[in-house]
Amino acid sequence: MAEALRKLGRGTEDLAAICAEALDADGVAVSLVLEHNHTELVWSSGAASTYFEDLQFTLGEGPGPDAVRSGSVVMVHDLLRVSAERWPALLPALDGHTVSTVCCFPLGIGAIRLGVLTVLRHPARALSPDEADDALVLASTLTGMVLDGGMSGSRRDAPEPPRVLHRAVVHQATGMVSAQLEVPLAEALLRLRAHAYSHNRTVSEIAEDVVARRLRFHDDDTGLLPPAGKRG
Amino acid sequence: MTREQRLAETFVEVADSLIDDFDIIDFLQRLSARCVELLDVTAAGILLADSHDDLQIIAASDEHTRLLELFALQHDQGPCVECYRSGAARTGIDLADPATAAQWPVFAPRALATGFTTTHALPLRLRNRVIGALNLFHTKQSTLGDEDITLGQALADVATIAILQQRTLEQSHTEKGQLQTALTSRIVIEQVKGILAERWQLPLDDAFDLLRKYARSHQLRLVELAQQVIDGTADAALIVGEAGHRPGAG
Repeated sequence: MAEALRKLGRGTEDLAAICAEALDADGVAVSLVLEHNHTELVWSSGAASTYFEDLQFTLGEGPGPDAVRSGSVVMVHDLLRVSAERWPALLPALDGHTVSTVCCFPLGIGAIRLGVLTVLRHPARALSPDEADDALVLASTLTGMVLDGGMSGSRRDAPEPPRVLHRAVVHQATGMVSAQLEVPLAEALLRLRAHAYSHNRTVSEIAEDVVARRLRFHDDDTGLLPPAGKRG
Repeated sequence: MTREQRLAETFVEVADSLIDDFDIIDFLQRLSARCVELLDVTAAGILLADSHDDLQIIAASDEHTRLLELFALQHDQGPCVECYRSGAARTGIDLADPATAAQWPVFAPRALATGFTTTHALPLRLRNRVIGALNLFHTKQSTLGDEDITLGQALADVATIAILQQRTLEQSHTEKGQLQTALTSRIVIEQVKGILAERWQLPLDDAFDLLRKYARSHQLRLVELAQQVIDGTADAALIVGEAGHRPGAG
């Protein structure tokens, strides 16, 4: 999955610049969470945002790591006015760097945390409600892209819009498959989607089968077994 | 208890709940249950618009999958979608009326099949914008009187206030950010329902109750407990065991 996620980063410098312009930002960055909670910067616009992302994820603290951990939007109007104990390693290290307003929008679905979109402004300027809405839509679109990036090699003509992934039955099935395969939720969702693609069905349909216990995932080559009671 | 007494009790409960670190999902679930009592309906649910303007169910008076799916159907059609888009209440909708079926060909028959005959949708309003809807269902033909509608709207307003009162990390107070946090919490709970249901071979419908009972008796927020189950730091066997289910009994 890590390799697939990295592919998303290639050839997207323009995208970062376009997003920065659209959000009237001095810097925009996207970092993704890979295995073992290692975080990797996949794209950024502006030297300040590259430096800031590296610093946050090297030190393991800051609004970005907080947004990833909590799954909530984190907004800091002015980093220079934040009390020193909040991020004791990060704040002194920023001395002299031009980062003021920081807004972090988590990428992910529920407990699946895929990364974070960070918007920087200097000097400090709060995001307007409309800009914050745009950033949330962008974060949701990026979430869809990251998930699709993880599906390389089994692309369909008409990819399912990310909103389909917001049905309760899909989340329930993700939890069930995660328990069946003893894998993290993110991988369980990929397995659900992979199965849907390879059987030319929608993720919702597969999820309904899993939740109704008509379909069970098993960690072998076929990936599937009939429900426990009907086995053998 | 008279309705006035129940209403007074509800408002005391609301005032008690909206403290520093309240549990938004548990709060909205209780509020949905109160709607059922106070408005004399069969089921109630609270839907919120996500960043794509699709309505998502955030809490319901009961957590049966059949009911949750009925709310979920309304991401693109049904009275809640109309209510959300227009900002106006839609009340006394007769689900058996052919005109209703023609208007919402997926939603109306499914609602009827679930046993409901009437539905109402009231907007969750925030100043000049609408953030979601309160959806009510009846198993008998009924209309909401003016008083009922006023009360229902007050309860919908309480839901809106609660959602915007959630304590988030940075107190960002961006409205959409608050909605997103509430929606994320709901998704985490659905994922954990799946984990518990599979690991202990429970019906999905039971998983929410177990989680909620354990969270309440241990004074944990639902979403915190859910996150602990996912992280493997909560003893999920305890959650299932305490509720009288024997793990592995199926």
